[in-house]
Amino acid sequence: MPAEIIDGRKIASEIQEELRQRVDKLKEKGVTPGLVAIVVGEDPGTLSYLRGIAKGADPLGIFTETVKLPENVTQEELERKIEKLNQDPKFHGIILGLPLPKHLNALRAESAISPDKDVDGTNPVNTGKLLLGEATFFPSTPYGVQELLVRSGHSPERKRVVICGRSNIVGKPLMGILVQKKKNANATITVCHTGTEDLPSIARQADILVAAMGRPKAITVDMVKDGAVVIDVGVNRIPDPERPGKFKLVGDVDFDAVKERASAITPVPGGTGPVTTAMLIANTIEAAQHLAER
Amino acid sequence: MPGKIIDGRKISAEIREELKAKTDKLKATGITPGLAGILVGEDPGSASYVRLKEKGALDVGISAQSVRFPEDVSEEELLKTIDRLNEDPKVHGIFIQLPLPKGLDEAKALNAILPEKDVDGFHPINVGKAWMGQPVFLPATPIGIYEILLRSGYEDLKGKEVVIVNVDDLVGKPLASILVQAKPKAGANVTLCHPATPNLTSYTRRADILVVSVNKPKFITADMVKPGVIAIDFGSNWIEDPTSKTGRRTVGDIDFDRVKAKAEAITPVPGGVGPMTVTMLLANTVKAAQMHAEE
Repeated sequence: MPAEIIDGRKIASEIQEELRQRVDKLKEKGVTPGLVAIVVGEDPGTLSYLRGIAKGADPLGIFTETVKLPENVTQEELERKIEKLNQDPKFHGIILGLPLPKHLNALRAESAISPDKDVDGTNPVNTGKLLLGEATFFPSTPYGVQELLVRSGHSPERKRVVICGRSNIVGKPLMGILVQKKKNANATITVCHTGTEDLPSIARQADILVAAMGRPKAITVDMVKDGAVVIDVGVNRIPDPERPGKFKLVGDVDFDAVKERASAITPVPGGTGPVTTAMLIANTIEAAQHLAER
Repeated sequence: MPGKIIDGRKISAEIREELKAKTDKLKATGITPGLAGILVGEDPGSASYVRLKEKGALDVGISAQSVRFPEDVSEEELLKTIDRLNEDPKVHGIFIQLPLPKGLDEAKALNAILPEKDVDGFHPINVGKAWMGQPVFLPATPIGIYEILLRSGYEDLKGKEVVIVNVDDLVGKPLASILVQAKPKAGANVTLCHPATPNLTSYTRRADILVVSVNKPKFITADMVKPGVIAIDFGSNWIEDPTSKTGRRTVGDIDFDRVKAKAEAITPVPGGVGPMTVTMLLANTVKAAQMHAEE
């Protein structure tokens, strides 16, 4: 029996609906949540990601702005800009488009973002709080994976979760979120990566398999247990065989084959992506609420 | 062939010798590494642990001081003392003996320690940087376990299956944070299990390296490990033993004799990971003083 296709767009719009009510309440108090994105240079991937966020935020009445800095901006100028935005009461959330040009130190820039406005959860102090199980902003992608699992009825509690990919934005924070002794977490987690020799035998253990390696068809059907829930975080642009000269987006999972074995699976596009965006907006609203309560 | 017994006391003594050489060198440049501890209340276990740390510090040439507060100290006074130690140039490392009495906010106190002096590695910024693979202070137990592995010849961790039965902030999570990084002498496939993980045996049996800290005697039995496992035991349990003078003795979480017969290597309790923990706190303190000297 082919798998249930988890509809990320539908879940995202449910979340959006809940967020709308929170925004309305904030507006009654005279607070309009504001999100600012800092972009260095003209990376098309970053700009399209930000357009997606604006598309989600605008209808909710959240104020968004993009600050574009030239490719050759210095570290000092970038950090000064961040400091200015930290002080600016219009903005409750600040995100930094990654990757940065090579001459800039991303960790230093991320550390400069005020932890109270760090809605992407990239400041190491927030990373630390995440791992310690303290209240903080979760990076939106792993936060979205947790939300997607819970809302689609596949809670990770007491489940065996295998995460393929150990990046600082997906794999590691997702491990930190799902391992906590908390509701909607409390999973047993393995993190592995593309260099893992017997990845198939580890991946086949998974009740919930998360693919975050950034490689098309990295997860093939022989790596999936019967009835597993498969979450695909990969976004890869590959030439579209049906439209010569054009590109299409695919995930890290060999979707057509794996969906015949899994019990549930997220598609790309339309799976984790829309929920990621919704969680970033949720964090921004959360930040606005905190700052309004001060 | 039964497994090799890893001698934590010997490894710990080796490291202390190296630390002694490092502090001598620092002293020649006019810097004496300094460690300050804060103890609140009268818990005898905590007090004796602080004494162990002080004694260990003095043995390797670190100057030690401790501030003792009564159980009912105010948060304000505690924070004021942390501030004073943060500003004291003779103090390179600060630790707070945990647990604090109820009524005091542990997270708040730990967050008040300057990250550069946080030799316990408990400050969220140090936890976060460690998780990102940045060089920072990590808690003593996980770096002690890591040193034991490296110094016993298990440096090639890439692709090894490491299973950790413990998800605490002091052991499981920071150990995962060391071993999971894409770096030389790391890059393992790390699994964090709760003691209550369903079907735990199916995980532990896959482990090339098994680390356990649940404080339950004989929690890991021989049928739960695969032949050739490297078994690291950070459990501490009192059991009755009529042959002992006191009528009891300490054991770990692993059924030692039976697992030893199957393992490639195993740490005993006592004398395994335990002796490493104070030593690694001292190592962090010397590192803090070295970093201070390089500024």
